[in-house]
Amino acid sequence: MAGFFSSLIIPVIVCAAGLIMIAGGSRFFDSFIKGAKTGLDTAVGLLPTLVALVCAVSMLNASGAVDFVCEKIAPAAAVLGIPEGLLPLLLTRPVSGSASTAVFSALLEKYGADSFEAFCASVIMGSTDTLIYVITVYFSAAGVRRSRHAFPVAIAVMIFGIFFSCLVCRLFFPRV
Amino acid sequence: MLGWVFGIICLISLVFAIATGNTAGLSNAVLDGAAQAVELVLTLVGIMCLWCGIMQVLEDAGLIRRLSALMSPFLRVFFPTAYRTRQGAEEIAANISANLLGLGNAATPLGIRAMQKMQAANPDPSRASDDMITLAVLNTASMSILPSTVIALRRAAGSAQPFIIVVPVWICSASCAVFALLLSRAAAAAGRGPAGRKPRTGNVVSGAAAAATGKTAGGAASGAATASPGSRGG
Repeated sequence: MAGFFSSLIIPVIVCAAGLIMIAGGSRFFDSFIKGAKTGLDTAVGLLPTLVALVCAVSMLNASGAVDFVCEKIAPAAAVLGIPEGLLPLLLTRPVSGSASTAVFSALLEKYGADSFEAFCASVIMGSTDTLIYVITVYFSAAGVRRSRHAFPVAIAVMIFGIFFSCLVCRLFFPRV
Repeated sequence: MLGWVFGIICLISLVFAIATGNTAGLSNAVLDGAAQAVELVLTLVGIMCLWCGIMQVLEDAGLIRRLSALMSPFLRVFFPTAYRTRQGAEEIAANISANLLGLGNAATPLGIRAMQKMQAANPDPSRASDDMITLAVLNTASMSILPSTVIALRRAAGSAQPFIIVVPVWICSASCAVFALLLSRAAAAAGRGPAGRKPRTGNVVSGAAAAATGKTAGGAASGAATASPGSRGG
C-alpha cells in the first residue's frame, strides 16, 4: 500500500505540471525551461566541490580509518538502535551537503540500495539538513552576533531526526 | 569550513594508510574519487533539471502563494512576534512553502529576507530574536515534499523501488519540523522565564532587553488584544 502510494507521487506531480501547461498555455513551458536551467547550473556548479569531497571520502574509506572507527563505536551505536554503517553519514550530515552526498553515495555502493542501512540513510538524508551551514548563513545575513539557543535546539532536532528515522525505517522496512 | 573538512580527512587518511600499509590503495582512491564525482554529478543532472523545471512551473502557477496562505494560521502560533509586527511574516510563509516544494534556490533568499525584516524589528540587534531562531532551526529540518536527490542516487545505485522511502521521509520530516517548532518555542520560554538561566550575562542592558522582549512576546497571547489591538489586526 505504502509502496503503491509512493510510486504514484512522482507521476502525479509531473502530471500536475503538465495540466498547468495545458490550461495555462505556452508560458508555463517557458517556466519549465527556466527552472531546468537553474537545475542544470546547480548540478554542474556542484561538481568542483564534489570532486574534492568525493575524493576525500574515497581516501578515507580506502585508508581503513572508517572501518577502524566504526568498529570501535559500533557496540554503542547498536545499543542505541543505529546501524553501524550509518556512522560516517551521521558525522558528515550536519557539516556539509556535498560531503554527505558523497558519503551517502558510497554507502549505497557498499550496502546496496535496498538494504536496511540504505533505507535509514535515505530517510536521514531526506529529513535533515546541513545544520551548521543553514544557521551560519541565516544569522550572518541578518547581522546577528549571538545566536542564543539556535545551535543547541538545532542539534537536538537533528539527533531526534536520526533516531526517529531509524525507528520509522524499522517499522517500514523490517530487517530480512 | 569545507577546506578544513577536506584537510582533516586527507591527513587522517594518510596516517591510517601508512599505519596499515595500504598506501597503494590510497593512491588509487584519489584517482577513483575524482572520476566518481563526475559520475555522481551525471546521475544528478537529469533529475535536477527535470525537477527544478517542474517546480518552477508550479511556482509560476501560484502554488507558493497558495501554500503560504494555507499555512499562515499555523505559523501565526509559532512566529508570534513576526505576525504581530507584520515584519517578515509573508517571507516566512513563502520560505517554508518553497522548502516544501524543494526549491532550495528560492527558499534561501526568502528566508534571508525574512531574517533581515525580523532583524529590523528586533529590539536588541546583537541577539537573535525568538522568531528568528525558530525560522533558522526549522530550516535545518529538511521539509521537502520529494527528496529528488536521494531518489536519483538510489536509482543510480540500482534500487528496484528508489521512491519507496518517500512516505517514511514525510513522516520523519514532519516530526522533525514539529519537534523543531515546539523545542524552539520551549527554549525561548525557558530563556526568559523566572527561572531563566542567564547567570553568565552580567550585561544589564541585554538583561533588561531580554525582560522587555519577554514581556511583549509572553503577553502576546493574552495581552495583545488589549495592549495593541491595532497592530494585531493589521
